[in-house]
Amino acid sequence: MNKTYDQTVLLQNEQACQWSPSGHGPCDPWGRTRHLGKKVPRVDAYERVSGSAVYPSDVLLPNMLYAAILTCPHAHAKVTGLDLVEAAKKPGVAAVLGPESPGADLSWPYGDGYTGKLFDPHCRYEGEAVAAVAAESPYAAWDALRAIQVSYEPLPHVSDAREALQTGAAKVHPEGNLVSPKQTYVRGDVQAGFEQADVIVEQTYRTQTLMHTPIELHGCVAKWDGDRLTLWESTQGVYAVQDTVTKVLGLPRSRVRVIGHYVGGGFGSKLETSKYSIIAALLADATAKPVKLFLTREQTFLAMGNRPASTMTIRLGAKKDGTLTSTEFSGLGASGAYPAGGTSLLDWLAKDMYLCPNVRTELTDVFINAGPARPFRAPGYPQGSWAVEQAMDSLAAELSMDPLELRLKNFTSTSQGRQGNPSYTSNGLKECLQQGAERFGWATARKGTAGQDPGARLKRGVGMAACNWFVGGGWPPSTVVAKLFEDGSVNLNMGASDIGTGTKTVMAMILAEELGLEPDSVQIENADTGTTQYASPSGGSKTVPTEGPAVREAAINIKKQLLGLAASELGCDPDELRLVDGRVQHRDDPDRSLTVVQLKGLKEQRVLLGIGHKAPNPQGKAITPFGAQFCEVEVDTLTGEIRLLRFVAAHESGKVLDRLTFDSQVIGGVAMGVGLGTTEERILDARGTGKLCNRNWHDYKLPTMLDIPEELDSVAIDLPDYEANISGAKGLGEPVTIPTAAVIANAVYDAVGIRCQETPINPVTLVAKLQPGD
Amino acid sequence: MLPSFAYARPTSLREAADLLTQPGSYPLAGGTDLLGCLRDAVFPADRLVSLASLPDELRGVRRRNDGGLSIGALASISGLAAHPDIQAGYPALSQAASEVGSPQLRNQGTIGGNLCQKPRCWYYRGEFDCLRKGGPRCYALGGQDEYHCIMGGQGCYIVHPSDTAPALAALGAAVELTGPQHSRTVPAKDLHMDPGRDPTRETVLEAGELIREIVLPALRPGTYSAYRKVRARRSWDFALAGAALVLELQGLHVQRASVFLSGAAPYPWHAQEVEQAIIGQELTQKTIQEAAEAVVSRARPLVRNAYKIPLLKGIIREELQRAAEASRT
Repeated sequence: MNKTYDQTVLLQNEQACQWSPSGHGPCDPWGRTRHLGKKVPRVDAYERVSGSAVYPSDVLLPNMLYAAILTCPHAHAKVTGLDLVEAAKKPGVAAVLGPESPGADLSWPYGDGYTGKLFDPHCRYEGEAVAAVAAESPYAAWDALRAIQVSYEPLPHVSDAREALQTGAAKVHPEGNLVSPKQTYVRGDVQAGFEQADVIVEQTYRTQTLMHTPIELHGCVAKWDGDRLTLWESTQGVYAVQDTVTKVLGLPRSRVRVIGHYVGGGFGSKLETSKYSIIAALLADATAKPVKLFLTREQTFLAMGNRPASTMTIRLGAKKDGTLTSTEFSGLGASGAYPAGGTSLLDWLAKDMYLCPNVRTELTDVFINAGPARPFRAPGYPQGSWAVEQAMDSLAAELSMDPLELRLKNFTSTSQGRQGNPSYTSNGLKECLQQGAERFGWATARKGTAGQDPGARLKRGVGMAACNWFVGGGWPPSTVVAKLFEDGSVNLNMGASDIGTGTKTVMAMILAEELGLEPDSVQIENADTGTTQYASPSGGSKTVPTEGPAVREAAINIKKQLLGLAASELGCDPDELRLVDGRVQHRDDPDRSLTVVQLKGLKEQRVLLGIGHKAPNPQGKAITPFGAQFCEVEVDTLTGEIRLLRFVAAHESGKVLDRLTFDSQVIGGVAMGVGLGTTEERILDARGTGKLCNRNWHDYKLPTMLDIPEELDSVAIDLPDYEANISGAKGLGEPVTIPTAAVIANAVYDAVGIRCQETPINPVTLVAKLQPGD
Repeated sequence: MLPSFAYARPTSLREAADLLTQPGSYPLAGGTDLLGCLRDAVFPADRLVSLASLPDELRGVRRRNDGGLSIGALASISGLAAHPDIQAGYPALSQAASEVGSPQLRNQGTIGGNLCQKPRCWYYRGEFDCLRKGGPRCYALGGQDEYHCIMGGQGCYIVHPSDTAPALAALGAAVELTGPQHSRTVPAKDLHMDPGRDPTRETVLEAGELIREIVLPALRPGTYSAYRKVRARRSWDFALAGAALVLELQGLHVQRASVFLSGAAPYPWHAQEVEQAIIGQELTQKTIQEAAEAVVSRARPLVRNAYKIPLLKGIIREELQRAAEASRT
């Protein structure tokens, strides 16, 4: 199983990146740019907006069948009988598939060495696959599913992490409900640190489980040509899908082609490969026809992962001047029914964000009878932020300090959570805090809310929080190939998926910038294991810092060849030439020049190839993005309704490559954080059946446009970081959602003096605190 | 996926009513609720009787000779929200209509359908053989009850999801029904079924009966009305709690009052205690506070929905203060 976000895997990646002290050869920083840093619309905007972009769920093939999966309706049960005979007789049915079907007795790799079956008779969560059918239409497939006879032996279940370790709790696995031994981290002497403290705050926080709900559901189309399988899959990484599918089906990589040109939303759930890909492949094999298999929204909710709920206790000690002396943090989370990183990265902000010599953290990851967690936009961090940033806010209140000052006071220039306490390649936290505060009018706003009428029905409050994010630099391997044609147009061949973040646009801009072209002249072929080079999945905010430098290197390689060709045609040394706006010219005599398309050498050769790789990251350094957010809320003290009046999000991720996609990430990240902070919550029938209660988009409340602040300002802190990589950029997609929920909570505290310890903040959770005694 | 069903599209109300007398037949107007119920297999339907080809007058709003308004059952929710006569004379109804669902749902949904919609209880909508579906028990009792009722629950603890129903009840509207045999009129406040009488029905409509139109009475000039809805997110959501208020005020003095609640009970809840607390009184802070306390005097919260008590009190305080302010200006 691809556990991209597992803490240890990530750290290993980070260390593996450092095998060589120097990566790329010398390379100039971007000087004055024509494209980079500007607002450049998506290169595929027309396709996406017009509907001509073919997403995997749009794929239609001749003779294609439609498949559907029957899933376990119980939170925990054993399948004691399965009869597919009636279903197979239903009109239009081409194949039925169960554990005893030919080729279907396959093991399924969960994390940490746990394996299950493709169709596991022991269903440890609602939504586990039990059987499947393929039919001539989706309707016929679903009618056939209803005709499958299954008998279950329901088993006791446990739905809440806090109950999983109690005596008598139902066991998800025979060995018990602890996923792994408690993880502890210690630096310094926490006890001594608290003894030095003038002020100590200790609080318990809780975030609810959020469910993945990408607009495009999870699924694929499977087609066999002889013994070669092609999958069109809605995925964040085609090579990751190839990896699991080849392992499970025992096929060589050369015979599994995975294509994922467009993805209708990937926030971590599509980093992983799911059983449906195997089921579709088996059904396509059994019927000798292409098979389309997309899950329903309910199945996506149940089985495609979540941001696990967290229960966190935090204790901070500080001197009167705000200097942190000690931090203690314990966190509990649930992987779900199989190991899935239920506490992944949960304690990182506690041990890494602010300067503190004495830190102790402890994490407990448990099994419950619910779908396994999956990476979810900055796994662990928004939860950790909910505790750390609110505790910092409380500490500031105890110290009568401006919360902004407290953050600046405890600024750190090194990554304390990492081995060896490395310094950052770049650190824009102060700029985020200061420029964000300035744009927001922080000092004035705080005075305004402090001076408001205490008896007012509508109270305003302002809050802020800061963040960093674990991954900013990406990692090898990645290879891209750029082709410059004799007409001056370019193909970029890249394995990475553009999951909607604008990867393709940014890569086209980098190529165009380096080669003096328009982004429009770059055509990108990507995310196809049959035709593009290896790339790890797009997640972890690592796509730009991984692919960006590889693309720039490929462009530089082409440029070198162009200058070489021009030098021989102009009779000078390549070092004397410059490439400017599609024209090679002599540095001393601009009239001594040739346009790229005039180059004879290029005309003869027809195409120049440039290959680029992601180089190892610099050794002994941490590459980290930073951010700070500010908001103003209005609280109706009679009803508990909150309105987000305005938001300022200041983020530093190295060089800003495309200001439009940068701002889109910021806006989307804040919107997603508003969901965590104010509306979203998975509700299981914990005291009854353990089944999922809110399984549609009404009951599972994503924030709507009206819940997103009307004023949402993105302040881009542009600090090119060429020590990180030659694109100058660090990752952005995840830090933007990390502090949002805590910012809202801190603003609510400022408005009404109530510390919201649990997400989400809305009338359900707030009104009784505003009207105590009721 | 929708299961298969037969489809009929009658051109007259009588024909529709005849078709609907047959078991397993359901009327299809906007479909925003029915199609979801079918997809989720909440109940089986043998036949959908489309109301799309019924006469156009069922879609309109017309002034009556008595000064009131008639609203055809197929009038769209967005049409009601925007209708100048309703905005002018019956703000509670236009406000309630504008708070329904989302713009798309308001365009597609009809007033008749809004009154007849099925509850949103996740046990009823989910794979639970609950009392309302003819099963043995209510799963909300002892289950996840955060959005369930705090009043009027008997056996079943749903809240009625309609915003327009409490507004129509408070405005004293009458609902005209057409059945296969005869027509009848039911006051809007009596349209919905107490689960203590029958937990499997939401309305008093008999088999084959359809809402034809809704009649709003003429109100005395200067009558104040409003609908306030509080929800967990600001659009596309049902009421956590809400209130429709219709007040006849002489200055701050309350001559008559009619108050119905949403999100509180399995049917639009007649908040008689609030009416008693304010009728004949001046809308002073003291009266308003007493009315706010009175709104929950019969509340019996479940495990996780006690927040509705301060919420309803807050809504009543806020709305009575708003009414008092309005009468001052």
